[in-house]
Amino acid sequence: MKSNDKGDARRTSVFTANEARTLAAVADRIVPPTDTLGAVEMGAVNYIELALAGDYAELLRDYRKGLRAIDKHARGKFGAKFAKLGDTEKDAVLLDFEAGQVPGFKPAANFFETVRCHVLEGVFGEPQYGGNRGMAGWRLVGFPGQQLGYPDAYINKRVDLSPVAAGLPQEEE
Amino acid sequence: MTAGGPIADVCLVGVGAIGGILAKELASAGLKVVGLERGPAPRREDYAPRDSIKFIARADRLDWVRHEPTTTRIRSGGKTELRYRTSPLNVLGGALLHWTGQASRYMPGDFKVYTNEIASGVAERAGADLRGYDVVDWPLGYDALEPYYEKFEWEFGVSGRAGVNPFAGPRKRGYPLPPLRRSAKMEIFAEACRKLGYHPYDTPAGILSEPYRPPAPFDSRIAERPACVYCGHCNFYGCHVHAKATTLYTTIPVALETGNFDLRTNCKVCRINVDDAGRTTGVAYFDADGRIQEQRARVVILGAFVFENVRLLLLSKTDAPRFAKGLANSSGLVGKYILAHGDVRAYAAFDDYIVNGFIGPGSAAIRVDDFNGNNFDHAGLGFIRGGTIGTSGDGTPMTRMDVIAPEVRRWGREYKDYVARYYTRTFDLNMQPETLPHKANRVDLDPKRRDAWGLPLPRATFDFHQNEHRLQAFMAQVGEKLMRATGANRVWTGGKERPNRWAGGTRMGADPRRSVVNEFCQSHDVPNLFIVGSSVFPTLAGYPPTATIAALSYRAAEYILRQKEWFA
Repeated sequence: MKSNDKGDARRTSVFTANEARTLAAVADRIVPPTDTLGAVEMGAVNYIELALAGDYAELLRDYRKGLRAIDKHARGKFGAKFAKLGDTEKDAVLLDFEAGQVPGFKPAANFFETVRCHVLEGVFGEPQYGGNRGMAGWRLVGFPGQQLGYPDAYINKRVDLSPVAAGLPQEEE
Repeated sequence: MTAGGPIADVCLVGVGAIGGILAKELASAGLKVVGLERGPAPRREDYAPRDSIKFIARADRLDWVRHEPTTTRIRSGGKTELRYRTSPLNVLGGALLHWTGQASRYMPGDFKVYTNEIASGVAERAGADLRGYDVVDWPLGYDALEPYYEKFEWEFGVSGRAGVNPFAGPRKRGYPLPPLRRSAKMEIFAEACRKLGYHPYDTPAGILSEPYRPPAPFDSRIAERPACVYCGHCNFYGCHVHAKATTLYTTIPVALETGNFDLRTNCKVCRINVDDAGRTTGVAYFDADGRIQEQRARVVILGAFVFENVRLLLLSKTDAPRFAKGLANSSGLVGKYILAHGDVRAYAAFDDYIVNGFIGPGSAAIRVDDFNGNNFDHAGLGFIRGGTIGTSGDGTPMTRMDVIAPEVRRWGREYKDYVARYYTRTFDLNMQPETLPHKANRVDLDPKRRDAWGLPLPRATFDFHQNEHRLQAFMAQVGEKLMRATGANRVWTGGKERPNRWAGGTRMGADPRRSVVNEFCQSHDVPNLFIVGSSVFPTLAGYPPTATIAALSYRAAEYILRQKEWFA
């Protein structure tokens, strides 16, 4: 597929181009780009695709159904595919999913919870899983990552350590 | 079935917290011990990575967890769901590999709830509704366990300070190590408790505050381990420096060094065998290649967690009338009265104070017991018992991504701005309200679902009942009051609404008609069968069970070693 988030040319997608566009549009409403990066630029979609090709493989069918339902609901409500909508319309569609109020798609609320959870995993998880690019998610909240330890209790002061990510699973211990 | 080989003195079913302690005690005394552990022996790189995707987000996908599901439902006839539980960790060393390290002893009153709260009239004055419950005393008291608590603390290295918590039972010896370093949340919470006139103390922690090796008269064969480095990847993670108290790298290596401990991993016991005289002769198990094997033994010790202990006893029923309902079950109580804590939390977020809650470990916590057990006046409250309250240790963004004030939207710009500001400025209190033994709460065999070996899964039927509902609501109010006293800008309460830290199912007691094992964890019905662990707890307490599990294990070992004629 055409990669729609900057990045990893090696990955092979589990989604069609349209599904991936819809997922990316959803992810960027869950953690939108502001003066800091949004979920897509942080690698959340990449994270989800890798997860669905691995540990979360049994969820792929539900994902594809759910993404189709999002587009269908977007068309029914606003006359266009989800990714083509403006932010306000996108949020209205997602609010219906969050509330479980999507006619003809019972698992709407569940699907929204799943995607929200996975987007946040892709924002806050270890970069080795394909998300949290450049530790942007950790920098956003002030978490210094996989530190070996903390020599100071840092009581009421910012932790002044650069964030650390284990590059490889076989990191030295 | 392959026939037996030599008869072992002792066969351990499960080599985790319990089996790891018993193996060292029994093998060191010269008994030939076989340990059958259904999980693998993990390498450090399997458990040490500080990886929140692996150990938090995808914890239910670990082989150690996936291996052995249970099913669960709220009530008879209710919908049954498959659960992958992280509490019975199927790996050598068991759940001590990833426990938080809260190493509290139970209080003296925790062993005498019937006497102290029902017979004495406390429940009546409280206006408690105890229909459906069967509250009993333990067959032993705090004093009987005190030496074994001490042994656990000094062999594994517990950090704490004696004499600060006025509600704690008496102790002959202090802690081997000073408390862990205080974090910001501990300082804030301790100050709030003092302001309100409560009694804050540093939680005893099964985490080394300094490098440690047990001194004489304790077991100095246990290797020295380094101090905690406060990495914060603690609860649900293995410890990358081995500061956490775990049998894997303390008692198990010592047991192996004796030459008397034959440890077999990836071996899953499926049946406990008995002879016509009603004594166990050993076990049948699936070996690592899936072949059925037999291990004969003079004594069999179950130390395989609540669900598996019960399941094995039920699976081992025979045609003999006394074992028709399962082994060790003439009382009909195997699987009954299971127990678990509620999960009630109070949260505080500060505009101008940086908490840095990701700095560990989880068991570096300030705790108050002013609302635990029978430590407060229950008159008119409508319930009995209570729970300990302490600062919680969950810290990485993966565990905190849903910790947001209830008025804040859970996604979008509002969410992003909120977590960017408050992730480092929030902490929570974890309250551990007790659950009373209720007749509806039990484990049996699932009539439909089976595991990979074709054996019925254990099925839990569990719900909180009236005493728990009232107590949990009360604890939430207390938590909110304590958090308000911290001066936080936002305070709210919540919790996971699911049971946590299982116990019960093979309750101990003096009367064989009303209990499964005696005070030494010995089956009333099968005298050379021992069932050790939280499954023997007749009532829960407002603390985690680990220190008490360890103490019972040491005490059972000593009792077994006194039965010299069994091994002659």
